[in-house]
Amino acid sequence: MQAIYRVAVATFHEAWRRRFLNAILVFAVLIIGSSWTLTYLQPGAELKLLIDIGLGSIRFFGMLIAVFLGVRLISDEIEKRTIHTILTKPVTRAQFLLGKFFGSLATVLSNMALMGIAFYVVFAYKGSKFMVQGAAQGSESASPGISTDFIYGNIAKAIGLSFVEMTVLTAVSVMASTLFSWIMAAIFSFFVYFVGQAADFFKSLANPARGTGFGGQIVFNAIYGIIPHFEVFDMREAIIKGTYVGWDTLGMHVGLGLVYAILIMLVAFLAFMNREV
Amino acid sequence: MDLSIEVEEGTIFGLVGPNGSGKTTTLKLLLGLIYPTAGSGTVFDLPLGSPEYKRRIGFLPEGPYFYDHLNAVELLAFYGGLFGMSGAALQDRIEELLHMVGMWDRREIRVRNYSRGMLQRIGLAQALINDPDLVFLDEPTAGLDPPAQMEMRRLMVDLRRQGKTVFLCSHLLKDMEPICDSVAILARGVVRRQGRIRDLLGAESGRFRLRVAGGNGFSLDSLRDRSLDLKIEGEEITMLFANQQQALAAAQEIADNGGTILELGAQTRSLEDVFIEAVAAGGDE
Repeated sequence: MQAIYRVAVATFHEAWRRRFLNAILVFAVLIIGSSWTLTYLQPGAELKLLIDIGLGSIRFFGMLIAVFLGVRLISDEIEKRTIHTILTKPVTRAQFLLGKFFGSLATVLSNMALMGIAFYVVFAYKGSKFMVQGAAQGSESASPGISTDFIYGNIAKAIGLSFVEMTVLTAVSVMASTLFSWIMAAIFSFFVYFVGQAADFFKSLANPARGTGFGGQIVFNAIYGIIPHFEVFDMREAIIKGTYVGWDTLGMHVGLGLVYAILIMLVAFLAFMNREV
Repeated sequence: MDLSIEVEEGTIFGLVGPNGSGKTTTLKLLLGLIYPTAGSGTVFDLPLGSPEYKRRIGFLPEGPYFYDHLNAVELLAFYGGLFGMSGAALQDRIEELLHMVGMWDRREIRVRNYSRGMLQRIGLAQALINDPDLVFLDEPTAGLDPPAQMEMRRLMVDLRRQGKTVFLCSHLLKDMEPICDSVAILARGVVRRQGRIRDLLGAESGRFRLRVAGGNGFSLDSLRDRSLDLKIEGEEITMLFANQQQALAAAQEIADNGGTILELGAQTRSLEDVFIEAVAAGGDE
C-alpha cells in the first residue's frame, strides 16, 4: 500500500504541474462561468442551457483530462526511463500501475470537483432564479413544481456519476498507455469513449429486423458486449425533466462503473506485466 | 544459454563488452526489469526481481532520468518512501547522502535544472537511499567531464571501503581498470574472460620492452631472432623480449655499438588489450 500511495502522490503532483491540464481547467471554469451570461440565448429554456453547459462542460473537459493524462502515464515513464529507478525499488509492476492509476484518477476527479464547484456557484445564483420564473410561467425546462433541494440533489448525483464515468475512462486510457504509443492510445481512448456513448445504437444495429447479416450481428453484438456503456452515466435529461433518480439506480450505475474499471485495469495489468521497460 | 558471473562481496566488479554484447540485457535481468525467457536467476539466494532482493540493491541507470519537478530532497524522500522509510530516519539519510555526493548546498534546485554531473550525483544518492549491499552502476562516468569522472570514481572506491559490492557496467575501459577488482568480458551473450583484474592483465608478465635509436654495427636479424617482436619506425626500433635477461643483453649490445636506449621496462597490458583479445577470440560464433 505504501508503494501505491507514494507513486500515486508523485503522479498527482506531477500532473498538477502540467500546463495543458491547468489550461483545460481554466478554460472549463470560464465556459461554465460564461453560462451566467449566455442564458439570454434561449429564453424560456434557461435552466436547460445552464445544466447543458455546466454538466456538459464537466463531462467534456473531464474526458479531455482523463484521456490526455492517462495515455501518457506509462509510455512517458518508459520513454523517459524514470520507470527504471522505481521498478528496481521494492515496487511491483502491479503496485506501480495502480499507483499511476490512482494518482491520475485523483487529478481527474479533483479537476472535475473544481469545475463542479464553479457550476454550483453559477447554478445557485442563476438556476434558482429561473426555477422560480419557470414555475410562474409554466415553462417546461424549468421543471415547475420541482423543489430546489430536489434539483440540487440530482445535480450532485449527476456529477457523482460523471466521476464514475471518468474513472472508467481513466482506466481505459491507462490500459491504452500500456499497449500503445500515446498518440495511438489517445485515438483508442476517444474511440472507446464515443462508441461507448452510443452502445445502445450498436445493439439496435445488431437487430436482424434491420436487415443486418449474421456477420454484422456478431460484430455489433460484440461491440455492445465489450464496450463500456458510457451513456448510462449521463443524467442531464433526468435533471432537466425533473425525473427522480433513485439510490438503487445510482448504486447500480456506480457498481457497473467500478466493475468496468476493475476489468479494464486487469487487462492493463496483463499487458504491463509482459511489456519490456 | 548459461551466464554465470562470480562477484566477490565488498569488491568493485566490472561487466564490459562491445555494443550488442548483452551487457544491458544482463543488467536488466539482474535488476528484475525484464524476465528470462527460460530459467531463473538468484542473487543473495533470492529470486531476481523479488521485493526482498530489491531491498538489498541500488541502481544508478545510464543518463539517469527523474521526476524533474522535484528538488534533491523531495526526490530522495520519494525514493526513500518506496522503501517504507519516513520521518527523522529518512531525513537523516537524505542529509547524509547529499553531503556524501556533494549536493547538500544545491538541495533546493529542481532536477530539471541539473547538469549531467549533478544528475549522476543525485542518481548515486537515490541508489544508496536504502543502504544497499549491492549497487549496480550503468555507465556511471559516461558524459562527465574529467573532474566529475574522478569524483565519481572516488565515490565508487568509497562504497567499496564501506563494504558494499559495486557492479559496474561500462564500455569505458580506462575508467574501470584503475578501480575494478575483477571484470567479466561479455561478447555475444557469452562470458569470454572473467577474473581478478591483476590476473587478467598479468598474463604476459615477464615480458620486456626495449626501444632504442641510432647506432650501427649490431645485427638486426640477430635481434629479430631473439625478440618476440621487432618494429622499425624511422630511427627508432622497438622490441619485445621474453624475459629481462634477453632485453638487458640486447640493450647492452646496442649501447656498445653507439645506440641510445630510449626505453627499457616490463611490458604491461591494458584492460583494453585484454578486452580486444577476448572479443576477437570469440570470432563470429
